[in-house]
Amino acid sequence: MQIWFRTALAILLIHSTAVTSGWAALGQSVASVERDRAAMGGEGQTKPGKGYSIETITVAGMTVKEYVSSGGIVFAVAWRGIGAPDLPLLFGSYFDEYREGLTAFQNKKPRIRKPMVLKTAHMVVERAGHARSMWGRAFIPTLLPTTISPEDIQ
Amino acid sequence: MKFRVLACVFICLLSGCGGGGDSGGGAASPPAGPNVLTVSVGASALCTNVNTLCAQVTICQPGTSSCQTIPNMLVDIGSFGLRIFGSVLSPSLTQVVDSQNNPIGECMFFADGSAFWGPVQRADVVLGGEPAVPVPIHVIAPTFAGQSASNNPCNSMVGSDPLDAGFNGVLGIGVFAQDCGSVCATQSNNNLYFSCVASTCTSTTVPLLNQVQNPVWLLPSDNNGVILTLPNVPATGAQTVSGSLILGIGTSANNSPTPGVSVLKTDQNGLLTTIYKGTTFGQSVVDSGSNGYFFPDATIPLCATPLQDFYCPQAPINLSATLVGTNGHQEGISFQVANTLSLSQTGNAVFNNLGGQFPIFVWGLPFFLGRTAYVGIESQPSTLGTGPLLAF
Repeated sequence: MQIWFRTALAILLIHSTAVTSGWAALGQSVASVERDRAAMGGEGQTKPGKGYSIETITVAGMTVKEYVSSGGIVFAVAWRGIGAPDLPLLFGSYFDEYREGLTAFQNKKPRIRKPMVLKTAHMVVERAGHARSMWGRAFIPTLLPTTISPEDIQ
Repeated sequence: MKFRVLACVFICLLSGCGGGGDSGGGAASPPAGPNVLTVSVGASALCTNVNTLCAQVTICQPGTSSCQTIPNMLVDIGSFGLRIFGSVLSPSLTQVVDSQNNPIGECMFFADGSAFWGPVQRADVVLGGEPAVPVPIHVIAPTFAGQSASNNPCNSMVGSDPLDAGFNGVLGIGVFAQDCGSVCATQSNNNLYFSCVASTCTSTTVPLLNQVQNPVWLLPSDNNGVILTLPNVPATGAQTVSGSLILGIGTSANNSPTPGVSVLKTDQNGLLTTIYKGTTFGQSVVDSGSNGYFFPDATIPLCATPLQDFYCPQAPINLSATLVGTNGHQEGISFQVANTLSLSQTGNAVFNNLGGQFPIFVWGLPFFLGRTAYVGIESQPSTLGTGPLLAF
């Protein structure tokens, strides 16, 4: 179990499992986190941070953290677990930009086997790990609160 | 044009263009026996990308002697199970199905952003001179179950061409027995395994023994792990390097661990901790399938585009770190990071000092050069203890 997850567990609040409709993601409001949790069939937890909060969703071997600004906007997501989380869900309106960027990235020849670092017009996406424990994070640099640096998104 | 020159250099770095360089250091005579596979970098026409370690396996139609030897399989301690491009596969394999007799497909992601889609099929797999073992493998086939390279359950472009990938498949021989494990045996929303009816594929549970398996643990003996041993190369790299993948730990005369090796138990995710310059990095990956050292150090200059994720110090930098297991055992690691642009200009294919920037520690192929690494499979006892473990 990751260190951050233990810390989160120590001070988390357990969310209600109320289900709301619609989809949610990067750049959208905190309400979308609960919709993500419901859509993924996961369990939710909240950890307050300085100028932001971290909403954690745990589901089927995957832990997803959504970073929410004090203004209530999701500015980053991070995940660790088996495979990949539901990125169309988590990236929302940014998913198409990600897909385009990823396709261009994948079309570079020859391929290089290193952790993925993808910077598109509006987002940074990084992925690494191995088959049983894939790690990734995505954030919108222009939405990042001044109280957090990219290294804090883990 | 500066950019074109750089682009050329980039291509050469990635593909290990020939010319110059000497081959890797003079190792003692390699171990021999039915449990030994030769592994090499830069020694074939396909497996040519920098620091890409490959071996060959033999795949047979189950229960028959209809077999095919497939070279250029990526030797990957960072994954679990055998994956082969369907386009290079000749023997007829047996489709794995669910309880409704619907075919099972899999979506597998790799750390470099690539993904692979295709059916799970049973094959008899031969490693070295070991007996054939029946194993579910992942056949990479983007059009399986009415899907396509761009439209599939991976929500991603999926690989379809060995030439693009730089290998015919992946021999995943890390610390786990299955590529997913209990999560996919019990939770249907795993998004790795899919049951397909016509062209509709739905995430589903798959029993452990039907999941894609690390073939090593199914061997009749020599089944508790592997030993990867590679000679070192000069600081300017080498055109090729060749070493051994030995099956089993302490199971035969040729695989007894060197006395005094440090045994690091991994966490439940197969990860270790790295301490570097006073900072502790959890979730560190030891992975022969990645081609460099990747870690965060803002004091080391990065290269210019298109190598912008790689380090470019003026002169090679000697660094050290400590790897820590969950059992508290530690191993100090000395390593070097050189100027990636300079390395790319040597035309060599194997480097022990290729490094780049990333938020977490990834100990890639350079880590394995000049080292004997022991990989203990989960729940399997050996003279080093019970896996999952890594030892050096």
